[in-house]
Amino acid sequence: MDQPDQTIHQPVRLKIMAALKPLPDGAQIEFVKLKDLVGATDGNLGAHVTTLEDAGYIDVEKDFAGKKPRTRVRLSRKGRRAFEDYVAYLRDIIDLPREEP
Amino acid sequence: MPLTQQEAAQALKDITRTERRSVSLQGYRMTWPHLVLWGVIWFIGYGAMAAHVAWPYLWLVLSLAGSAGSFFFGYRLSRDRAKGMDWRYAATFFAIFLFIAALFAVMPPQTDAQYGAFFPILVSLYYALIGIWTRGLRMLVLGILLAAITIIGFFYLRENFELLMALVGGGGLILGGLWLRSA
Repeated sequence: MDQPDQTIHQPVRLKIMAALKPLPDGAQIEFVKLKDLVGATDGNLGAHVTTLEDAGYIDVEKDFAGKKPRTRVRLSRKGRRAFEDYVAYLRDIIDLPREEP
Repeated sequence: MPLTQQEAAQALKDITRTERRSVSLQGYRMTWPHLVLWGVIWFIGYGAMAAHVAWPYLWLVLSLAGSAGSFFFGYRLSRDRAKGMDWRYAATFFAIFLFIAALFAVMPPQTDAQYGAFFPILVSLYYALIGIWTRGLRMLVLGILLAAITIIGFFYLRENFELLMALVGGGGLILGGLWLRSA
């Protein structure tokens, strides 16, 4: 990979992917918890979640818990692979000989 | 444009920090219902002992009810993951049951207070280990507090040990569970 995956590279989206990565395969996290983890506003997080969903990196499920609407997010297989590739890309850069200042 | 080494290092640091917080939150989410459930059971069990209720099957019934409840919470969580029941929940309960049975066969507690102190200490160890391994500070604090209350009660407040475990131990577990839930 010569260039970073631009979908993941954006800082908020990177945090979303990092928050989802440690969850067991198929496990979901609620939107409100994700908001706390990422430190984003509702609107900002919603926009980035949509971008990741459009890329096929996450799956979004909307339902009701009692009478309250609930949005839950999980990492897709494609997203897990993409994130692992992105982390490997970062490690490759760090492992290169030191850059001259 | 390719990233510089500093940018890559910063991105990896952000990833690690977020992953750790996510692991802690996941641990809290999995644990809080168990804490509240066992808090209620301790409150009833130790409260009955403090009130000198002499029903020999009290703790057996409460333990079975608690185990069934914990099993249900584990099942519900695994169902949410859409992967079906994880056999490790059942295996974990079975392993703990065998451990306690073997331990009591070899070194049976001699008094009711020893029985009463053993389980809170075991549970404290569990919470502390979970806290250490998931970097969950709240879990670690709960484990330490629970162990401290139990040991202080056992050695210095023996006459009111059951009452202490009902109010502070059981109540503490319930509050601790709600504390984890709020994280």
